[in-house]
Amino acid sequence: MITTIKLKKTKGYQVITNWLDSIDKKPFAFQEQAWAQMMEDRSGLVNAPTGTGKTYSVFLGAVIHFINQYPNDYQSKSKNGLQLIWITPLRALAKDIGRAMEEVFFHLGMNWKVGIRNGDTDTAERARQKRQMPEVLIITPESLHLILAQKNNAANFKTLRFIAVDEWHELIGSKRGVQVELAISRLVGMKDTESQKLKVKSQNAESENENPVILSLSKDAPCHPEPAEGLNSKLSIWGISATIGNLEEAKEVLLAPLDLLNIDAKETAIIKANIHKNISVESIFPDEIEKYPWAGHLGLKLIDKVVPIINENKTTLIFINTRGMSERWYQSLLNVSPDLAGLLALHHGSIEMELRTWVEETLHTGKLKAVVSTASLDLGVDFRPVDTVIQVGSPKGVARFLQRAGRSGHQPDAISRIYFLPTHSLELVEAAALKQAIKENIVESREPRLLCYDVLIQYLNTLAVGDGFYPEQIYEEVKKTYGYRYLEKEDWDQLLHFITSGGTALQQYDEYKKVEVIDGLFKINSRRIAMRHRMHIGTIVSDAMLRVKFLSGGYIGVIEEYFISRLMPGDVFTLAGRNLEFIMIKDMTAIVKKSTAKKSMVPSWQGGRMPLSANLGKKLREMFNVPAADTKTKDEPEELKILQPLFQLQKKLSHVPREDELLIEQIETRDGFHLFVYPFEGRLVHEAMAAILAYRISLITPISFSFAMNDYGFELLSDQPIPVDDSNVYELFSPENLLNDIQRSMNATEMAKRKFRDIAVIGGLIFQGFPGEQKKARHLQSSASLLFKVFSEYEPNNVLIRQAYNEVMEQQMEEERLRNMLERIQQSRIILTFPERLTPFCFPIKVDSMREDLSSEKLEDRVKKMQQQLEDG
Amino acid sequence: MNAPLLHIIKDQHCWLSPGRCIYWEEEKALILSDLHFGKTGHFRKAGIAVPAHVYKEDLQRLVEQVQYFQPSQIIIVGDLFHSKANKELDLFTKWRESFSDIIIRLIKGNHDILKDEGYEAMNMEVHPTLWSKGPFSFCHDCEELKEDSETYAFSGHIHPGIRISGKARQALQFPCYYFTQNYCVMPAFSRFTGIALISPKKKEKVFAIADEQVIKIL
Repeated sequence: MITTIKLKKTKGYQVITNWLDSIDKKPFAFQEQAWAQMMEDRSGLVNAPTGTGKTYSVFLGAVIHFINQYPNDYQSKSKNGLQLIWITPLRALAKDIGRAMEEVFFHLGMNWKVGIRNGDTDTAERARQKRQMPEVLIITPESLHLILAQKNNAANFKTLRFIAVDEWHELIGSKRGVQVELAISRLVGMKDTESQKLKVKSQNAESENENPVILSLSKDAPCHPEPAEGLNSKLSIWGISATIGNLEEAKEVLLAPLDLLNIDAKETAIIKANIHKNISVESIFPDEIEKYPWAGHLGLKLIDKVVPIINENKTTLIFINTRGMSERWYQSLLNVSPDLAGLLALHHGSIEMELRTWVEETLHTGKLKAVVSTASLDLGVDFRPVDTVIQVGSPKGVARFLQRAGRSGHQPDAISRIYFLPTHSLELVEAAALKQAIKENIVESREPRLLCYDVLIQYLNTLAVGDGFYPEQIYEEVKKTYGYRYLEKEDWDQLLHFITSGGTALQQYDEYKKVEVIDGLFKINSRRIAMRHRMHIGTIVSDAMLRVKFLSGGYIGVIEEYFISRLMPGDVFTLAGRNLEFIMIKDMTAIVKKSTAKKSMVPSWQGGRMPLSANLGKKLREMFNVPAADTKTKDEPEELKILQPLFQLQKKLSHVPREDELLIEQIETRDGFHLFVYPFEGRLVHEAMAAILAYRISLITPISFSFAMNDYGFELLSDQPIPVDDSNVYELFSPENLLNDIQRSMNATEMAKRKFRDIAVIGGLIFQGFPGEQKKARHLQSSASLLFKVFSEYEPNNVLIRQAYNEVMEQQMEEERLRNMLERIQQSRIILTFPERLTPFCFPIKVDSMREDLSSEKLEDRVKKMQQQLEDG
Repeated sequence: MNAPLLHIIKDQHCWLSPGRCIYWEEEKALILSDLHFGKTGHFRKAGIAVPAHVYKEDLQRLVEQVQYFQPSQIIIVGDLFHSKANKELDLFTKWRESFSDIIIRLIKGNHDILKDEGYEAMNMEVHPTLWSKGPFSFCHDCEELKEDSETYAFSGHIHPGIRISGKARQALQFPCYYFTQNYCVMPAFSRFTGIALISPKKKEKVFAIADEQVIKIL
């Protein structure tokens, strides 16, 4: 442990604390800890929630480091070259962070410049940065890769001392996190090469008469060369993360490439802010639980309870899980409370950038009463006026719920207030489970992605577009990252083969051209292919999206191709709070015009459908212990009390399972024979389990199924009776032969096909076109499902196809979680019931599965009818 | 190859092949659509590594069909080539030379953008929009047909597919032959093509191509 004694004696520390003093601030203990570590050129991870000075902990550390290096002329020194790279997941964050940093330099009288680099940076600014890098560069992972795609990019990083990765908890579980890992491995690798050069130079100075200097890339000898003036061989990396279950691993993922510089992971630290935030969680209850729908609506029935909350508070953020639902909520709020017009805004990822920025800026000024938003406002700088948050529907995990709650009440000691609004009755149990989890301090882990071949292919092409690469050197670097530790040489060779020769070819008739190998250097020489690749780097975030434009001109936002492809000309849909009539698709753009139609379809965006986390699932199962028991407990959560009538009906028709029980219901309806299972393990695990169960049953008798699932359970539906009874049920849920059965369960192909969509885009197989070239690129359009088909047939061993199946196993099937579930079930009592009609438990699953075929209006009617039948019965 | 299925239109014998083409017996003509030859090459040239063997298989299948039906002419209702000339087309040219006694008539599709000399060099008869023979006419896109035409038309362009759903929401989809009252939409010959689902109306006929077999659906 490094103490702060030495730090406090330094000039840098004094300069910074003097300035903090002048604005009536004091450094937090965790900030001083981080500064002391950075002073010693160490790396680590700062664990602090938003709004607690986490930015300063790393940023000021870099400044102190510089002042200590140049105690006498730190103010006058300018054009120092790049010192600090600040990686942030969101473009929207860059501006505010940059402003805050510039302010510091102004007050300290320093000549440091802050540059921003992302998709919005104009070409003039880019050119300026190319001539003279600012000392601080705030950048997204994609833009950092774009710099690596420039000629002579290494020159930019010669002076670099610090890499900071902000909101690392958001990045780590995604492919953008992998992009960060790869970029860091390259930046560290450059230092490695630098230090080798220095070493050779210093050795040479000692023995001038010996052999001539050969620039060696070998890494046999450990090297700790003293840096020459102006040249840095040292680099420290700092992550900044909110609390997640696997902080230690998160640190390892980020810092793994430091091994290239022979830096031991033990020399790195996790610094915790230990700032406690008070959170108050309140559920919004319907007046009559009996009349509250069991499924199939969006919580809008409770809209009258939301309006007073908005009116009583300064600014309210309303979080809705999907973009489609948020559009509906926005409209409905304006309908019930027209005086909110102008004071209410909508914010989600498909809305045009400019409009989103406006919403964010207006939020800061406190001019908005409420904003309806999706995960797009999860991250980012604090909006001080926000004092209340409403979560509509399940947040799917404790961490996300906490993050959202934390968006309100930023002042020290202020309470973060969050309301939970259920979209169906049973969801109230989730509210109770969330409260319990918060009380017990349970937070989810974010698992890092492993062996993403698509990202690696994109990265290799990026390097090839830049200065080109030598495979031996890059292989060493890539192998040091956490995500590719287990990359096999064989697969690496296949990747190289793929980018140079394009897999199997038709010999003399082939004209495949991408990466060319000249004297061992892998390089892309075609300017056209290079340009296309650069345009492509940002596509990890956006998959197959179409721009939406008015016929008369004017850009509205983007929308998933999947949704548009199902529309017929004349259909009306809602985007950015407007009703739009679809006219046609032209050049990757959906052309629309304004519509006055009352009814419209709301796009169903695929992206935002997170499954329930394992932690929350476990808490949820525990919650059912209370209603399952016949005796009343004193401290029964109010959510459960209110649900009494529902549980009574469930008990009457079927059963309420305790945490050590698994409930299975078999029901016959007009649609066929249903089997409902309730493991409460999240949608994805249920999808996999449904497929496996279907496969296992099909071994007993020839039978076909369709599946439906939600976060609580799943349904198998068949046109014939399903042979599940107490004689075979434990066997059907056995963890034995799981891997085998997963592979055989027919759904794997279908799931892999869906996964392939992203992979094909990132891996560069699907080309989305770019401005001005769309027409010419038209003959290069193809769909992911078509590519999946031809690759499966003609090159089944292709790395990208294999990755699709791997992702199915890890992400989709969540194999480990699946296995844990089956082992748990083996220890549980399996309860089989045969209810005469649909139960409150199965209702949401049944309704969710109808959603595929019906528009939401009709759905609501149909649900009403079905529920009526239930209650009458 | 599995046996083709006979379908009679205007007293003409049309054999629907599982190899995605129709043999018109009276005229000894093989009718094809949407071959998109050169598509894989076009992608590969642009650095998009799709497996080139799709194309090889398409070409082989064409040889098989020609050997099986022994046609004296091949009528292509558009999109013979996917894009500009590339080396893959050389392979086609070679193929053409070995079957030089067969007449090839191309009714141009939106993808057929080669210069006229290109087609002439391959000894093809090119029709810009429509060509008629006996009771039949041929065009690329059925949307452009005149309503009152007396001939029965063969077209392509949309790559028709049919979705078959059973009870309990089971569903499968296949490429298909689609016969309306006054025209037929051919399945795309190339396997490197997607499908557009059709919704047939009453009295229309649909034949799916599933597992190398032609199956009557409607």
